[in-house]
Amino acid sequence: MGLIAGGIAIIFTRTNPLTVYHAILVGAFGSTYNFSETLVAAIPLILISAGLLLAFKMKFWNIGAYGQYIIGAMCSSYIALHVSQQSSSVLVLSLMVLAGLIGGAVWATISALLKLFWEVNEVISTLLLNYIALYILDFFMHGPWRDPASHGFPLSKPFPACAQLPILLHRTRIHLGLVFGVIATIVIYILIKKTRFGYENEVIGENPTAAKYAGINVFRNTLIAAGISGGLAGLAGMAQVSGIIHMIQMEINADYGYTAIIVSWLGALNPIASFFVAIILGGLEAGGYQIQMTMNVPFGIVGVIESSILFALLGGELFKTHKLVLRRKKSHRQIQ
Amino acid sequence: MQKTPETIVRLHHISKYFPGVLANDKVDFDLRKGEIHTLLGENGAGKSTLMNILDGLYQPDEGEIYINGRRVRLHTPIDAMRNGIGMIHQHFMLVETLTVLENVILGIKSEPFYINKKQTAARILEISDRYNFGIDPSLKIWQLSVGEQQKVEIIKTLFRGAHILILDEPTAVLTPQEADAFFEILEQMTGEGKSIIFISHKLNEVMKISDRITVMRKGKVIGTVNKEDTSEENLAEMMVGRKVLFSLDRKPMQRGEEALKLENVQAYNDKGIKALKGVSLSIRGGEIFGIAGVSGNGQRILSDAIAGLRPVSGGKIYLKGKDITGLSPREITRLGLCYVPPDRLKMGLVPNLSSVENAILRCYTRPPVCQSCFINYAKATHYAEKLIEEYDIMVPRRDAPVKLLSGGNMQKLLFAREVSEQPEVLVAVHPTRGLDIGATEFIRKELVKQRNNGVAVLLISEDLDEIFMLSDRIGVIFEGEILDVMDIEEADFEKVGLLMAGLKEKLPNMEEATPAARQA
Repeated sequence: MGLIAGGIAIIFTRTNPLTVYHAILVGAFGSTYNFSETLVAAIPLILISAGLLLAFKMKFWNIGAYGQYIIGAMCSSYIALHVSQQSSSVLVLSLMVLAGLIGGAVWATISALLKLFWEVNEVISTLLLNYIALYILDFFMHGPWRDPASHGFPLSKPFPACAQLPILLHRTRIHLGLVFGVIATIVIYILIKKTRFGYENEVIGENPTAAKYAGINVFRNTLIAAGISGGLAGLAGMAQVSGIIHMIQMEINADYGYTAIIVSWLGALNPIASFFVAIILGGLEAGGYQIQMTMNVPFGIVGVIESSILFALLGGELFKTHKLVLRRKKSHRQIQ
Repeated sequence: MQKTPETIVRLHHISKYFPGVLANDKVDFDLRKGEIHTLLGENGAGKSTLMNILDGLYQPDEGEIYINGRRVRLHTPIDAMRNGIGMIHQHFMLVETLTVLENVILGIKSEPFYINKKQTAARILEISDRYNFGIDPSLKIWQLSVGEQQKVEIIKTLFRGAHILILDEPTAVLTPQEADAFFEILEQMTGEGKSIIFISHKLNEVMKISDRITVMRKGKVIGTVNKEDTSEENLAEMMVGRKVLFSLDRKPMQRGEEALKLENVQAYNDKGIKALKGVSLSIRGGEIFGIAGVSGNGQRILSDAIAGLRPVSGGKIYLKGKDITGLSPREITRLGLCYVPPDRLKMGLVPNLSSVENAILRCYTRPPVCQSCFINYAKATHYAEKLIEEYDIMVPRRDAPVKLLSGGNMQKLLFAREVSEQPEVLVAVHPTRGLDIGATEFIRKELVKQRNNGVAVLLISEDLDEIFMLSDRIGVIFEGEILDVMDIEEADFEKVGLLMAGLKEKLPNMEEATPAARQA
């Protein structure tokens, strides 16, 4: 369904949807290198969606992964830009990971606290914090962090080698972030399925009154869940600047924060499923760049396809629980 | 029945299938003009399904509906309304923030775009006066008491020209006196030629007002009888399919030590109004203390306050002599107080989670179910299965969400979970509301069993029969105050009923000053 809707959009670009889909497929999975690019795009999606689904499970609607990603990237960049070339790589990267986690977590916790103390709707607060994060980044990129050698472009100095995540596979861009992603997926899986926290998390999400009644500490659990989801988004930001971009700039692909929302829903809030969905959508992203270059189809079409799939999924949910009954209008009238 | 009976509604061989269930199996039912015909049956017997078919909410899979001898098809409640059928649901379909007038005209298609409020208000007042309702059309719904809201529902249906009224358990929210007044209104209506279908499972009131009674069980009609030809026992037997024991195994009370003590407890409700105005109670082990009252007089606030779910603004609560005021719900539970809350689905259970996950809601914090910070789901399943077996709970599958269970089985699961904590004090609020006779019997027996085992039971219920059947002492709550406490031997329906309405001064030899008796 989603693909058909996406196809209609593609027709407006005066190309054959099937050729485009074929090109995306080839671009995503056609060769080892293409597939490696798919994984590169999947890394942030895996990390962010793993965290988001934890928050979504307790019905904390964190849609601020975008901002948490930016803040995480900035906190780790701060470290990267303030270490000397000769520092220990392990130490620097560990600090950057920590900074990314904490930065994102703090950003998400703000919304959680607003919700817990003043019942501010987290959808609104996380969304607004996205813009605040973006403008903070804007300030730093046009101010203190701009590399004098960048000819006025909002780019920082490149990160020293010790602040770059090592590449896992030669001649690809797959970096250590993939390992973070796998670990995050496993940890979140265990957290949800096996632990007390996961159980409490689910009870809060399904019935907050029952959670209070059972003596579950809603305050603490909300903070933790929001913190973890923000932390992982922050880590994704760190992985992107440290593993791919190797500097901080205005464009750090924070849109992954929104795409990851789609990932966690397509994955039915299951960490393992989300992991694979992230790879598929990563393929869509990677393939999308390909079609933009080779077929002159705008990259935006990828967003259209992604959203169409999500709508098809949400619409499909309805038919899982309801039966569609087609009835002729005439029978509505009484038989006299 | 008097006069020549003229049949105005006839349901012929109605069948309705739901996935996996035959809710109505070739049901025949007829309503005569000017009669009150009661539809009696346990929950899940198919009464509501049948009435929803007559109200146009459901379509029958088989069978025909005749109104005034003419076959009709009712596809929506609007169709039903056109045929003069109006249903008053158990849960009122009113918009709280709108006025009476706005609620009455809501959804009427024939109403012009521009609403002539004056004219409409006059029509509402006319209906209201005819039955002595005393409803002001300009008041907002939330300003009205539950009884008044019910009257608005009736006005709503009459306004739409209904002459066949379906009333779904209308007395559940009324005091005995209010119910009597309500029955008078019903009689006045039938006197005017209106016909009423009355759904209930309270046998005494069924016997009081019905002309005829149709009993349903498991989707089938067991029989239709004239009131004169039957008795409560007979009806109960038809309803359940076996003899029902109305008595319980009550050992003489072994009153133990004081287990729960409230001293001048005060608390606010969600709207910030003081809903508990100083409640003092003392309950000992081995007794059931019943609190009677019309709903919305602070019962829920009281139970929530005791369980630690609502802050107390004044006063003290002691559990076994220990001050538990202000402790968290979990701490209070650990100290030996368990709580069967009034709302199974909203508070006591997590509807979308499985019976296993619901069964461990209390004990998941300690071994064997919890091992350090992990939950051992094998042990949890084992624990749940034990409860399910011990309490004979019917569960389709262990991993099926509990919302699929019947009300009785949900309550059994909830009750089993709470009692398994081996409490010293058990607070049970409306423990049998909405349950069928079988489950009700079961829960009541269990409550008495707890009492016989020395547990102090605080029973809060709107069902006076239940209070009288189970309690050793009765307290009556009205507007956040306990008006009086009496031993069961000296209590009678009349006295408790008057207290429930806040009419303390009407009682003979009452020397104390009258409380705020607003409702009179």
